[in-house]
Amino acid sequence: MDRLKQLPTLRINTDEPLTLKYRRKTYRGAAGDTVATALYAGGVRIFGRSLKYHRPRGLYSLDGECSNTCMAVDGIPNVRTENTLLKDGMVVDAQNVKGSANFDWLGFIDKLDWMMPAGFYYKTMHKPAAVWPVAMKQIRKAAGLGVISPDDEMKGRYDEQYLTAEVTVIGGGPAGMAAALAAAESGHRVVLLESRPHLGGCFDYRVTTNGQGTHLYERARELAEQVKQTANIRRFEHAAMVGAYNNNLITAFQVGKAGDGFTERYIEIRSASVVVATGCIERPLLFEHNERPGVMQVGCAHRLARTYGILPGKEAVFSVGHDLGLEAAVDLSDLGVKIACVADIREDGQRPDLLEALAERDIPVLGGWVATHAHGGKTVKKATLSTVEGTVRRQFPCDLLVASAGLTPVSGPFILAQAGMGYDRRTGYFLPTGLPEKMFPAGRITGINDPDAIEASGRLAGLEAAAAAGADVTQAAAAARQAVAALPGPERGCKLVTAPVKGRKSFICFDEDATVKSVKQAIDAGFDVPELVKRYAAVGLGPGQSGIPGHNLPLFVAKYTASTGTPKPTTVRPPLVPTYIATYAGYNHHMFKRTPLHDSQKADGGIFRNIGVWQRARYFSEDFDCKEEILNVRNNVGMLDGSTLGKFRIHGPDALKALQRVYVSDMSKVTEGRIKYSAMCNDDGCVIDDGVVTKLGENDYCFTTSTGRAGQASEWIRYHTRFDNWDFHIVNLTDSMGVINLSGPNARKVLAKAVNIDVSNEAFPFSGYREFFIRETIPVRAMRLGFVGELSYELHVPASYMQTVWDMLKEAGAEFGIRNFGVETQNVLRMEKCHIILGQESEQRTNLLDVGLGFLWDRTKSDAKTVGAVALRQAENDPGRLTLVGIRMADDTRAARDGAIIVDTKVRGYVATMRKSFTTGEAVGMALVESQLAGIDTRLQIFEDECNGELLDARVVPMPFYDPEGERMKL
Amino acid sequence: MFGKRKPLWGTKKRLKSSYDAVIIGGGLHGLAAAYYLAKEHGLTDVAILEKRYIGFGGAGRNTAIVRANQRTQENVPLYKEALDLWPVLTKELNFNLMFNNCGNLNLMHSEAAMKAARMTIATAQFHGVESHLIDAKEAKALVPALNISEDITFPIHGAMYHPPGGIVRHDAVVWGLAKGCAKHGVHIHQQTEATGILSAGGRITGVDTARGRIQTPRVLVSAGGYSAGIMYHMLGIKLPISVLTIQAMVTQPLKPILDHVVSSGAYHCYANQTLKGEIATGAHMDPWPNYTTQNTAHYIKHQAEALSDWLPCLRGVKFMRIWGGLADMTPDMAPVMDGNDPIDGLYMDCGWGYFGFKSCSAVGKYMAEYMATGNCPEMLKPFHLRRYENHRLMGETAALVNYTPDN
Repeated sequence: MDRLKQLPTLRINTDEPLTLKYRRKTYRGAAGDTVATALYAGGVRIFGRSLKYHRPRGLYSLDGECSNTCMAVDGIPNVRTENTLLKDGMVVDAQNVKGSANFDWLGFIDKLDWMMPAGFYYKTMHKPAAVWPVAMKQIRKAAGLGVISPDDEMKGRYDEQYLTAEVTVIGGGPAGMAAALAAAESGHRVVLLESRPHLGGCFDYRVTTNGQGTHLYERARELAEQVKQTANIRRFEHAAMVGAYNNNLITAFQVGKAGDGFTERYIEIRSASVVVATGCIERPLLFEHNERPGVMQVGCAHRLARTYGILPGKEAVFSVGHDLGLEAAVDLSDLGVKIACVADIREDGQRPDLLEALAERDIPVLGGWVATHAHGGKTVKKATLSTVEGTVRRQFPCDLLVASAGLTPVSGPFILAQAGMGYDRRTGYFLPTGLPEKMFPAGRITGINDPDAIEASGRLAGLEAAAAAGADVTQAAAAARQAVAALPGPERGCKLVTAPVKGRKSFICFDEDATVKSVKQAIDAGFDVPELVKRYAAVGLGPGQSGIPGHNLPLFVAKYTASTGTPKPTTVRPPLVPTYIATYAGYNHHMFKRTPLHDSQKADGGIFRNIGVWQRARYFSEDFDCKEEILNVRNNVGMLDGSTLGKFRIHGPDALKALQRVYVSDMSKVTEGRIKYSAMCNDDGCVIDDGVVTKLGENDYCFTTSTGRAGQASEWIRYHTRFDNWDFHIVNLTDSMGVINLSGPNARKVLAKAVNIDVSNEAFPFSGYREFFIRETIPVRAMRLGFVGELSYELHVPASYMQTVWDMLKEAGAEFGIRNFGVETQNVLRMEKCHIILGQESEQRTNLLDVGLGFLWDRTKSDAKTVGAVALRQAENDPGRLTLVGIRMADDTRAARDGAIIVDTKVRGYVATMRKSFTTGEAVGMALVESQLAGIDTRLQIFEDECNGELLDARVVPMPFYDPEGERMKL
Repeated sequence: MFGKRKPLWGTKKRLKSSYDAVIIGGGLHGLAAAYYLAKEHGLTDVAILEKRYIGFGGAGRNTAIVRANQRTQENVPLYKEALDLWPVLTKELNFNLMFNNCGNLNLMHSEAAMKAARMTIATAQFHGVESHLIDAKEAKALVPALNISEDITFPIHGAMYHPPGGIVRHDAVVWGLAKGCAKHGVHIHQQTEATGILSAGGRITGVDTARGRIQTPRVLVSAGGYSAGIMYHMLGIKLPISVLTIQAMVTQPLKPILDHVVSSGAYHCYANQTLKGEIATGAHMDPWPNYTTQNTAHYIKHQAEALSDWLPCLRGVKFMRIWGGLADMTPDMAPVMDGNDPIDGLYMDCGWGYFGFKSCSAVGKYMAEYMATGNCPEMLKPFHLRRYENHRLMGETAALVNYTPDN
């Protein structure tokens, strides 16, 4: 098709031809074309088939309010081709068709609509029950639009940007641009978002003039130029606003253009105030076959010609309810479309100059008339018009039926910002009943249509937003307010809800093929609230985000239920524009913490696992039973990177009181040079953390927490001392300090070589704590612990020195055959000693007494001082709790799997951890069992998953299994 | 089916001045309890009071997943019964609840998680509920879209596969139960807010509503996320419940790509495909107590990041709609079902968190029995309120949960 190439309004560059492939045919477009406009220019009228009835669907709005032009583009499903810019070489395909969009084998379903009244799914296919699984398969196949396959890959680069500004303006039309310019006058940082690829909005394609005699498209370009020249306005074109959250956090996504370093970009803007200048879309006209290809909205037809240089049809009929329709009829007539007739729903109230212009062109205008039927097989061939009362009908042949009942404000941003919405009787719009804090409407969204008023309202909103963000604009705002008052205000909107038709094929929602008739059926079935109709008749839940039915549905429900109140709007939900998961994901960071030894652990063959927020070396060989690692610690010496341990310092006059509050032990007994192991409980007495406390001085302590609690430990202490007004400070040292655990009978020999303090058992005994420097430089806090059951040193070293100290110890241990051990080895070693790991030998409900740590609890401390003490006192006399016991399998070759349950007629407990011990040769472990089964030698029956009822035998044995006297850790 | 349309749950009824039982909350639990009261126990003089419209709350906001792979023996049989009831109710109500028995996969991302899953699986198998531990390759065979490579944030080690679970059309359950209620004479009063619960001498005497006072000897509070507030403001009873917003979302509709419900605790993310073809996804609550049901910017982004990792083929799919609902969380992730304590005739069914949908059918049945007979059925006994007073939590999760501000 020949394009109109000379129009000053064009947004395509015909000097830059592009091509795309659709059904083995090549179509030509130009830079600036969307995929849909290029196809339309190439004669494509049917872009796909509808969800339920497989009706042919065509270009309707150009702004993506419905899924009509959703196609698969380069393998990506559900792309709205009407607002996707064409790139050279794109390959597109129609969706939801068997055959082609033009000839769909499933097109016959359209005739079967009588079989599918609203909610028919709920009333059919369940009798007999065997039918349903078969029917369901067919429903699944029939449903859905796009196709993806499991190995699809989304190509491209996805960017993220986080902006801060004083004012965000949503919408880059005349009102938005005026608002941005006004807000920028005070020096504020302004962000301007425009969803189309260029600024201009409703001025961009119109040749009528404003009060100064300037063509609107020229004015749009003037404003855009001013915006570009204003340094403190950051403008984002082709950036659709998708979300509004608390405190004016706005999210949007931008489509990258040629030369941008990203395919799409997720944008998050935190600004003090927001201007909503999103303008209007059109309210669809409801009549029979109102979505037949060839039926389109006013703006769509007008922009096809003016923006894209495509005449939308040869012979057109207009059925409109608004002056924009008349304006488009005049302009399209001048551009070469034959206009058979303009039916205007309004009897009067049209702009006289437009009526004159139509008369000059011999275009008949029928006031009080409306389209009732779009005839034609696949595309429109003829239109029936009638009076709005339905008394007289006339038919007009045409290939284009421009239909629009009126305008609909794009009020989504207000709804997302929690504004209450109410029906406005003058405009017929649903508008905010109260504005959200620091959010201001501008332009057509308020019901105005006069070009000068649009700009003036934008300027006023921009100034108000600037003021809300702290600027002093009193005088300018007063002047702007006067200017607005002097210009035309909101216009009366057309109120017609449907043409006088029965509505069997009048589609209120295109995406889900919901008709006026099906909405009536839903209401008759008792679903008389718009939100319920939405669900029952499936209206507005499709990809168009309610763009098509959003305004009409509540109006229709109010009419049909003969409601005497005002219509109630339905909700819209974010994202206001459907957005790729890839775009939301952005960079898709892997957020893990690495220990200071990460690289060297990796180089040493560490096999890493994600444990909580950390990546840790779990194994050092492919033997996940870790035999060599385990025996090397038991018989020789090994080193573990324990840097993930939570490490804190607490100091200040009330530090001890704070420790007393959260730890169950009497923390006043912590003495310098010694470590104290203790635990924290919650108010239910359940153990939440355990660790070691050391005293550095008066009211100055260090303590460790388990890896998993490091994030919450400070908060926990603060929370439980929140009413006390105590004076203490907590410093989280978790990341700034690393931990090396040096364990095994040869540990002392290794340490002695690396440090120059006396590490003899007398000078540094079990439970001792020492601070010293290595080579007068590296400060070390050393503790003698026994978690793995051997002679063991835990060295706390500044993170930056960790690698150095590790290497020194490694070198010192070389002669003894020192080697790394990982988390799993530690797990087995400590299990043999029956040292618990919280979360492994405890669950949510396990308290301190259940896991045998009751000895830690100092009962002489006042209960008010200790979190959990009251519950513990109560639990002491409660017989029915689970208790931690040691168990041994009857068959030592067959350790039960962790998580196996202990049963008789009921579940009586479960195996927490169990291994075949390489040290003792026994299959031993720990289990939580009901207390009546906790006696030594009690026989237990174990039910493993997939055991098919064959139970395993075990019995309760004393703990620990290894070195019960604890001599080895005290060597 | 094609005949003249009658309102599904009857014509609008006048609010009477007395009922044998009043149920506060026109959600799934309230509707189910009313249905069974009328049908099984002949207690047909029942009013359901719903402030908005039936199914407004969690009933219409959940993502419709059903399963019976809970962790403890107190819970598993209840959920199992609920699962078994879907086909029965479909028949009884003559309303297609669209039970898609597609099975659930719960992904495990470490050896430790695999072990933890064993306990749940063993418990299920012990109670005759099918559930298996499968490895990553087997999971991939079931869900070809799964990314089982090593270089994702949480590499997949395997999954807990629970074939009896699936998806039920949540709205259908609301409407079907309402239909059943109306058929047995229950009055459903929409747009009717309960404003007070009256008692005298330790007995329930009535309920105040925005439309007038009702005399009744029995009240069931089953108002989902609003139950704790109702109990406190109307009766001064403080429940150990924290209410949090929980969000969920759907993508644009697609042809079949996911044949199972797949979830991942590590990613805080589940995904399943509705019969309409949308991928429904969501998971955990926002970690601060609130009643807003507002969406947050970080959540939809988090969800996209998670799905990008473990279901990467969805990167080219668009999110279409996100919404929020309320989860009323108890300290042990198990509900409170109790009655006649501390007030005779007062029944409560709340604290369901995000499990209220899957359990509603069975719970309605037992709560109805409780209310009709005054005796607590065995099945509900473990769920009494006083367990918290005695610090006897139920162990529905291994990990500690905490929804108070210290978290």
